[in-house]
Amino acid sequence: MRTTRIWLLLILPSSLILLGGFLLPMLGLGEESFRLFTPGRVGAVAGAPLTLNNYLELATSGFLDFVVETLRISLIATLIGLLIGFPMAWWIARRLPRAGRAIAIGFLIAMVLLSVLVRTYALELTFGSVGLLRGVLRALDIAPNGRGYIECLVAAGLLHSVLPVTALTLLGTVQNLDHRLTDAAQSLGAPAWRAHLSVTVPLCMPGLLAAFLISFTFSISAFVIPMVLGKGRVLFLSNLIYTRFSEIADYPSGAAISVVMLAIALFFVVVVSNIAARQGRKA
Amino acid sequence: MNVTRPNRRRIDDIIGWSTAAVVVLGLVFLLLPLLVTSVMAFDERSFLGPMPPPGFSLHWFVRFFSQTYFLVGLRTSLLVAIVACSISLAAGAAAALFLDRTQFWGRGVVLATFLSPLVVPPVVIGFSLLLFLAQIGVTWGLGRLVVGHVIITLPYAIRTALASLAGIDRRLEEAALNLGATEARVLWTVTLPLIRTGLISGAIFAFAVSLDDVAVSSFLTDPTTYTLPVALVSSMRATFDLTIAAASVLLIGVTVVLMFILDKAVGFDRLIGRGMFGR
Repeated sequence: MRTTRIWLLLILPSSLILLGGFLLPMLGLGEESFRLFTPGRVGAVAGAPLTLNNYLELATSGFLDFVVETLRISLIATLIGLLIGFPMAWWIARRLPRAGRAIAIGFLIAMVLLSVLVRTYALELTFGSVGLLRGVLRALDIAPNGRGYIECLVAAGLLHSVLPVTALTLLGTVQNLDHRLTDAAQSLGAPAWRAHLSVTVPLCMPGLLAAFLISFTFSISAFVIPMVLGKGRVLFLSNLIYTRFSEIADYPSGAAISVVMLAIALFFVVVVSNIAARQGRKA
Repeated sequence: MNVTRPNRRRIDDIIGWSTAAVVVLGLVFLLLPLLVTSVMAFDERSFLGPMPPPGFSLHWFVRFFSQTYFLVGLRTSLLVAIVACSISLAAGAAAALFLDRTQFWGRGVVLATFLSPLVVPPVVIGFSLLLFLAQIGVTWGLGRLVVGHVIITLPYAIRTALASLAGIDRRLEEAALNLGATEARVLWTVTLPLIRTGLISGAIFAFAVSLDDVAVSSFLTDPTTYTLPVALVSSMRATFDLTIAAASVLLIGVTVVLMFILDKAVGFDRLIGRGMFGR
């Protein structure tokens, strides 16, 4: 009996932190999203009447465009991340000698730990209006402040964050892959590309799905990258929430966007985990 | 397959080379911007001109350190990171110990709840905290920032501690118990030293996460209490000059130091493992 009490004492601090700093605030956020907002005030007044207005307003205004834009740019960055990260992981695991492997892993971990501020600033400096591509952009008649180019920059910012994580996640997968299976396919006459496509890739599917999920959920909740590189022309849902808070102090509307954003994030987590589970059962 | 042998070989070669090209392209994409920034930070010009700089000087660094706005932010950032990470690590290690050593119905749900801040967008965490803390009357800037940073670092602390607890040899603890040590003594002299590397890597990741956060902190700052990243972002949006390049070089330096500690304490290879079929 006494030991049980001591064990419970161990989990008490974390539980209190989580309850007071996360679970209760999330409930409060849900409640705020149903409160009526009077323009000109800061947030909803205590005891303001309950309403569905904040959600209805989202359904009618151009909000859906922001959702689509967030998902579209995130998806592009995630897929490019997989296309580059997978060969990278395979190359590090199979082609590099041990010393080189340790250096490559260290490099990738450093790139994960690197501050997102450094990434965004460095990308803007390198590919922005004064950057290295200045001449190329001018020759191709691309305006560095045009919408299309800004979208590319935001995607590049996401890719820079997502690529090292993807490569590291897949490195674990490729390492645990029995390469004898691919070798067997090749010695039975399959060309290398075919052996990889029909043996390596399907065997790595759980890892690919995990990497997709990590990258995609990171991307759709990105904040600094679209804020700095998007220059106000490209806004993600995160930026929309922040604008509702900082510029018009419409907390209820910001709360409604938060709830929608959370639902989107959880939706993808559940869907992709289900696909991964089904894959696992098949294997 | 109707492809003849030399033809097939050529396809393999092409695929092989394009794979190598993709890998190199990825590495260049990751490194080039950092290189450009590091060079430009030493630009002697007093304005932001095109690459390459005509000469080198340290005046952008002098400018960074002469702005109190940044220095105040740096102090707050370090203070918040140290306090929040200490709380997260202590609470997280205790929770991980509990989750590792007990079996009960709903354990999976409890673990998922503890890790759930990882899937919630940081902006949503920051915004909900802002509303909640305002409601219960907490207006102390530093306190608000610490709470926010504990929430985003706690899952990392719990996860790394759990992973290293799962990897230790329980017979070592049993041996100590058999030799007459109390449970508390076993915890201090056997269990904690065994998970030391896990705790260190957890601490480094938590510290990096805390030091890098903008999304949560943006909601919890007040005019006199703000973190360095928040200050850097707002100055980046106001004037895009090379003071931030100097700050970036300093932040890259922080990453290098963290990596150095990580390699000395844990070793990169052990973080990833060599895999079942590793060489």
